[in-house]
Amino acid sequence: MKRDVLERVLWSLSIDRFSKEKFKENPEKFLSRFPLEAEGVRMILEFDVKGLQEVGVSPLLTMGYWIEMSPDRHMSSYNKKLGSESDFSASIKG
Amino acid sequence: MAEIVGGFLVPHDPVMFVARDAAPADQAEKVWGAFESCAERLAESGATTVVIVGNDHYMLFGTTCLPKYCIATGHVEGPLDQLPGLKKELVNNNEALATAIAEHGSETGFDWAVARSFTTDHAFSIPYQLIVKRAAELSGREIKAIPVYLASAVDPFITTHRARELGEQIREAVLAFGGDEKVAFIGSGGISHWVGTKESGKVNEVFDNRIIDLCCSMDIAGLAALSDEEILDQGGNGALEIRNFICAMEAVNAVRGELVEYQPVPAWVTGLGLIELKVA
Repeated sequence: MKRDVLERVLWSLSIDRFSKEKFKENPEKFLSRFPLEAEGVRMILEFDVKGLQEVGVSPLLTMGYWIEMSPDRHMSSYNKKLGSESDFSASIKG
Repeated sequence: MAEIVGGFLVPHDPVMFVARDAAPADQAEKVWGAFESCAERLAESGATTVVIVGNDHYMLFGTTCLPKYCIATGHVEGPLDQLPGLKKELVNNNEALATAIAEHGSETGFDWAVARSFTTDHAFSIPYQLIVKRAAELSGREIKAIPVYLASAVDPFITTHRARELGEQIREAVLAFGGDEKVAFIGSGGISHWVGTKESGKVNEVFDNRIIDLCCSMDIAGLAALSDEEILDQGGNGALEIRNFICAMEAVNAVRGELVEYQPVPAWVTGLGLIELKVA
């Protein structure tokens, strides 16, 4: 799977207010605008940050999208998703 | 003719701002105090403009365009990623000098990406607000700042060799600039830190001290010789920001570096090193 469109989507969800709102309203509809494979859609919807990194997506983007869009936004949950034992919990965003 | 009066290598750790109390108090005090010391030293240097060499964190530049190196030549504000105690504000850019650096580059083989109206991220704004702005307050004089952004965190990365060449080009452009500007440089980033990866929170003191030794001995070739594989393994993806150090060090052409402070702070996910680049 190529990282290019995945990174475009995650960048939008990290930075762009309009994209964030549309994703929150209807995530499947928002993602249908992008030429994503089914597995890519699944990883984004399930916040599978480990899977996204394994296909080459930048950790800066998996973290940014997690902080902006995930249900609990906590870095401790993010770390667990990655398989880390770290209990570090501070977000890099204010 | 403009003059280069010195420089600094400092971290830009946002966790210092969002989790101030997470670090042991003595370490926190030393790091915040070291930034203040850098501000005092910059105030004493007589600098009138500071070029801050930082890097985007996949916020400012998206997938549609990823420049290897970019300079802001006009309006500047930031940071985009506001933090507690680091709010967005206008930056007093030295537009004339920034434009001269870009134009000098065009004539000498450095095709700068130019930002006419730019929003910084924390890589610029942390050293700007803690050091440059503070030095202006301490000295009572105006100190302008120019953002230079290298591709040090988002691939395709600028090579360490090119970062060094770019520092030399900036230096030549500054020295060719008319007037009586006194210019300092800040290399913003590092040292060891893992950003967004499962190793986040790890700090490698051995690697950090190796980098500090190379910086203090002005061994730019030694820094540039480090492979990305070695940096990623020993210092994490955040340590690729050493490119910013290389560019700033080449621009300053200092005789030595002086360690202001080093603190390994896992709670702030970073080995924080602050170094002054001394020209005499």
